[in-house]
Amino acid sequence: MANQGADRRTVLEMLAKAAAASQFPGFRRWVFGQQPEREPRKGTYRPAFFSPSEYHTIDVLTGLIIPADGTPGAREAGVSEFIDFLAAHGETDIQEPMRRGLQWLDAVSRKRHGAPFASLSPEQQDGVLRTAAHRGQAPRDDPQGQAFFRLIRRYTVMGYYTSRIGLEELDYPGLRIYSASPACPHTGDPEHRHLPPPKV
Amino acid sequence: MPDRIYDVIVIGTGAGGGMAIHALCQAGAKVCALNASRRLKPSRDFRNHRQPFDMPFRGFGDPVKRKNWIGYMDNEYTEGIWEHEIIFTKAPGTEWTWRRCFAVGGKTNFWGRSSARFGDIDFRAASRDGYDVDWPVTYAEMAPYYSRVERMIGVASTVQKRPSNPDGEYLPPMNFRCIDRILESGARKVAIPYLPDRIAQLTVPHAGHPSCHYCANCTEGCDVGAFFSTPWFFLPAAERTGNLDLRTNALCRHILVDENGRAKGVAYVDRVTRREVEVYGRAVVLAASCVESARIVLNSKSRQWPDGIANSSGQAGRNLCDHLYGTTARGYFPQLLGQPSFPDNVSASTVAWMPRWQNLENPRQEEFIRGYSVYPDGGCAEFPWYFEEIEGFGREFKRAIKRRYPTPVSFYIQAPTQRSDANFVDIDPQVKDAYGIPAARLHFAWDRNTLLMWEHGKQACEQLLRASGAEYLGAAAEPDMPGTSLHETGTLRMGNDPKRFVTNRFGQAHDVGNLYVCDASVFPNCTDKTTTLSILAFTLRTAEHLIENLKQG
Repeated sequence: MANQGADRRTVLEMLAKAAAASQFPGFRRWVFGQQPEREPRKGTYRPAFFSPSEYHTIDVLTGLIIPADGTPGAREAGVSEFIDFLAAHGETDIQEPMRRGLQWLDAVSRKRHGAPFASLSPEQQDGVLRTAAHRGQAPRDDPQGQAFFRLIRRYTVMGYYTSRIGLEELDYPGLRIYSASPACPHTGDPEHRHLPPPKV
Repeated sequence: MPDRIYDVIVIGTGAGGGMAIHALCQAGAKVCALNASRRLKPSRDFRNHRQPFDMPFRGFGDPVKRKNWIGYMDNEYTEGIWEHEIIFTKAPGTEWTWRRCFAVGGKTNFWGRSSARFGDIDFRAASRDGYDVDWPVTYAEMAPYYSRVERMIGVASTVQKRPSNPDGEYLPPMNFRCIDRILESGARKVAIPYLPDRIAQLTVPHAGHPSCHYCANCTEGCDVGAFFSTPWFFLPAAERTGNLDLRTNALCRHILVDENGRAKGVAYVDRVTRREVEVYGRAVVLAASCVESARIVLNSKSRQWPDGIANSSGQAGRNLCDHLYGTTARGYFPQLLGQPSFPDNVSASTVAWMPRWQNLENPRQEEFIRGYSVYPDGGCAEFPWYFEEIEGFGREFKRAIKRRYPTPVSFYIQAPTQRSDANFVDIDPQVKDAYGIPAARLHFAWDRNTLLMWEHGKQACEQLLRASGAEYLGAAAEPDMPGTSLHETGTLRMGNDPKRFVTNRFGQAHDVGNLYVCDASVFPNCTDKTTTLSILAFTLRTAEHLIENLKQG
């Protein structure tokens, strides 16, 4: 057991080194999302794949899908930057499909409210997105909306729950140092039928 | 005259090669080890302590590079480690996925660590149910080697007295998590064993190696060496003896023979200079892993061995077996909804297992022969993959993801195929790898017996989930692709009859007395257990047999 302390120090040094390696050029909020001690970079993120208006709509959508509600949401975590970054690096699943989906979204918004999605009120945006999100309400002849919703939702989840903010939201317990393999604390309740009331 | 003749040339540095190198160097033999790729540097190559946001693509990988990646382990954490250049081919109709690590240490750098002994239920299976052949060894013979290996590498578990699984010498077991306690209770109701796995992962410091710190990313490589791998456990000690010459990027082309057809050395390609090099030895140990070793044998053609060295039986490459892997059930525990997160996954899921419980007393009790094992998985993971099962968006969606976080549970089956004439490796007559070496070609399909196990496993795991109070969400539509397990066995099987087997009970080629095989290719079949511990035990025995033979000249 004598060399345990030294080994733990080695591990902690490695963790620190990995954190320092986490700086990539161009990002503003994403980097902020990783390192809470830093201020967000000045200026706005310049999208590398999507047009500024497409990018803005994506940013709004990510915030609707995972909002700030006591804990930070997708916009605070810079998820739209991550989506644009992937698209710019050849993620074919979100290049043209995302573009076409954004066009569908604006078309539905114009038809229903006379303005593109990004110009609608939060309530109107919520309503338009709900059309795509709930299968029962979606027009039968328009599967494109549903496909787009699943796509933007999937990439929002990917971006959010791999950010520091998202992992903190889940309280991800990995990449910490434990001295023994963690054991179930609920002795006397093997079936876990009598746990304290849920926190969430 | 060659300027140097080594005592032994060892091809490969994984579980078999690493153990052979270690044992031979300790015994004073001069060893030249050939490894087909580079050395890994843990501080640079193992990115296991990085958070997803420490990498540009969050672990999902560069979208362009990702298209060429193989399987789930070929990812942003282990980029640049898996082999892509030394290709293999598949016969029409064969599906096979294969992420091979040719770096020094081979797959021991990233293995799953489950380490159960084989027993007489495996070695004498043919006597019990009449299918195929018994192994040419008994458990009583192998037990001391298993004990020595367990002492060297450190295996955490408990004494379980299971008829399918001989007990060994164990470090303290991993503790059971909430999901284990729940499943253990459910398993009792449906008479399925639910026990601590046998894990080559150090729960206490052992043999000069630190104990596990439970960071959760073992399968990205361990940068402190808290689970067994040959670069952490064997190769440094072997190098300290001064008896080891380890040559990297040395891709074996074929084994050289003398005028009597005995092995006299190895011809390899230096992958850096692309030059061909010959190295000579008194004996050759082949430990390149099951399929690659068969490829080397079949490519080692000479006047004396027109069908490949030591292949007078014609069995080299035949009898390929594999483990069927697949998700037999998944669901979630409502009783854990909304509970605080818990470090469930910090040992990368090798906490518990459900060791074979079928066909124990009566070998023909089930519709299938032999048996399978199951590994449970679940709890708080790094990524909420279950999100697709939740509808909607917004606050409710975010809250539902958080509520479900501690609850997921799933099962993964490990079901052995049985030998058949249809499953084998040969040499592709047309295709060569980047170095001009003819490629291995795989012929493989699941057999009916294995698919019956898969169906049985799906039913059993659904019952277990329901008995545990879980919501059952289904099973995978079909098993994972063949090759996923990396547990290929049987291309250079051991047996007593030289007409039917390539190697004898010591892994020594029947035809060529100074050629030994130290990997899972010598195993007559693949059992319900993982292969690494047994590769180590059989290799230790083979290496000592070889040392005796060297002493006798």
